[in-house]
Amino acid sequence: MISFFLLTSLAAIVSGSLCGALGFHVQRFNAVTLSFTVAHAALAGAALGLIAGIDVTYTAMILALSSAALLGAFFTKIIHERELISMALFSLFSALALLAIYMSNVTVLATSSVAVVLWGSLLAVTLHKLIMLACAAALFILYTSAYRMHIDAILYDSKLAEAEGVDVQAHTFILLFFVGAAIALTLKLMGGFLVFALLYNPVVAASQITKNARRQLHLSALLGASSALLGLTISYVLNWPVGAAIALTSSIILLASFIYKLLATRAKKPS
Amino acid sequence: MGLAAVARSALRGEVVKLEDVWVAYSGADKPAIKGITLNLPLRKTMLITGPNGAGKTTLIETCLGLLKPFKGKASLFGVNTRSRGIVQARRLCSYVPQSFMKPPFEAYTVSHVLKLGLASFKSAFEPINGDEEKRIKWAAELLEIESLLNRPIGELSGGQQQRVLIARALLRKPKALFLDEPFASLDRESRYIVAEAVKEYVRREDASAVIVSHDVAPLNDISDVALKLVDGAVVEYEGITS
Repeated sequence: MISFFLLTSLAAIVSGSLCGALGFHVQRFNAVTLSFTVAHAALAGAALGLIAGIDVTYTAMILALSSAALLGAFFTKIIHERELISMALFSLFSALALLAIYMSNVTVLATSSVAVVLWGSLLAVTLHKLIMLACAAALFILYTSAYRMHIDAILYDSKLAEAEGVDVQAHTFILLFFVGAAIALTLKLMGGFLVFALLYNPVVAASQITKNARRQLHLSALLGASSALLGLTISYVLNWPVGAAIALTSSIILLASFIYKLLATRAKKPS
Repeated sequence: MGLAAVARSALRGEVVKLEDVWVAYSGADKPAIKGITLNLPLRKTMLITGPNGAGKTTLIETCLGLLKPFKGKASLFGVNTRSRGIVQARRLCSYVPQSFMKPPFEAYTVSHVLKLGLASFKSAFEPINGDEEKRIKWAAELLEIESLLNRPIGELSGGQQQRVLIARALLRKPKALFLDEPFASLDRESRYIVAEAVKEYVRREDASAVIVSHDVAPLNDISDVALKLVDGAVVEYEGITS
């Protein structure tokens, strides 16, 4: 039987690298606000799962994928207002999440089921969840390999790709589905309010270190995995909430990347 | 509407049809183009001129459906630009945008940038085939960029990058070319190369072209329609009347 530490480590590595790679694509597809909304839909779904007494991963998945579908439908009709619609949905989902947590009949926020949704738990990682995470990661690799040319065309210049008939909308839509699935599957490890740290911090850190898109993608996945694994170890050693430990680690890596960029820029300047 | 259906409809009708089209940018206090009605039949070339801020780029992007009118109707190869079918219609077109410059760290090679022009014709896992490789070579020779094929695009000058994008536009074998200031970054010699390449393509392939340029002289002899925009409205129109 796979040991508990190996299980959680593998879950951290897979979720960290998947979120890091997704974050890179989300940023280059100009879909950060959209993904933010999908992430909050996952949180609302998890909180609703608490009330219904269903595994929060599944309710998070249902609401995250539904919101991705909703945004995809809106995308065609009202492309200019999509940011505003995303923010309106974001507020709605946040309100739903808080209301559901309030109504979930617990008086202490540290109650285990609520704690899992808010700041994550090592105990939430099971072999079944790890397999689902690995499947999501494998599907994402398969998708990016199958449509490498389409995705590269969008990453190079999304407006030009769109003008040439690449279905940018469909690919953004698919990307949001992956974001929804990854967040729903990572939520119990990281907690609903901290899962963004794995999605956005690695790509921001990677963009400070290299401007080369291909290297940024690989580095973002690597930094995501490193943040998750290091954070997990810190949480284990210090008995901290795992989500907070991972988010802090990724923030420290982000800070280090800014310092690296500052030093590298100074070193390049002629004295 | 599938690509075949769009291609069939492309052999009749118009390339572009705008009916009382108004377009505004979010947050702007006045429309960028106002009440434009125009019609570009197949196998015709349209030159668009006008001062900075006249709405030339807005017009070309409206024709391609990248910008949607808040009033009026825009069609490309008979497909309403608001419909999902516009994705198929765009596959019959090539576009060279005005803002094409990539920063020095952009590591895609010229060869890769050219291949990406064929992405929209590819299904999952489908690689570039031999014919397409030949077309890439042909376009690179035509625009005299063969020696740049293995260089990262970010290392090239503005003029070289513009020639790469024009080569990418031509190798797609489009039924309609949309060029936004195609001579803006070019020196005199390069202007001649590009103008000749575009003219040869339009004549040989019986293609249509919509060209926005301050300097229309190199392309005057292939122009069927010329229009001048000022403050978002057409102030001069010469050529075909519908």
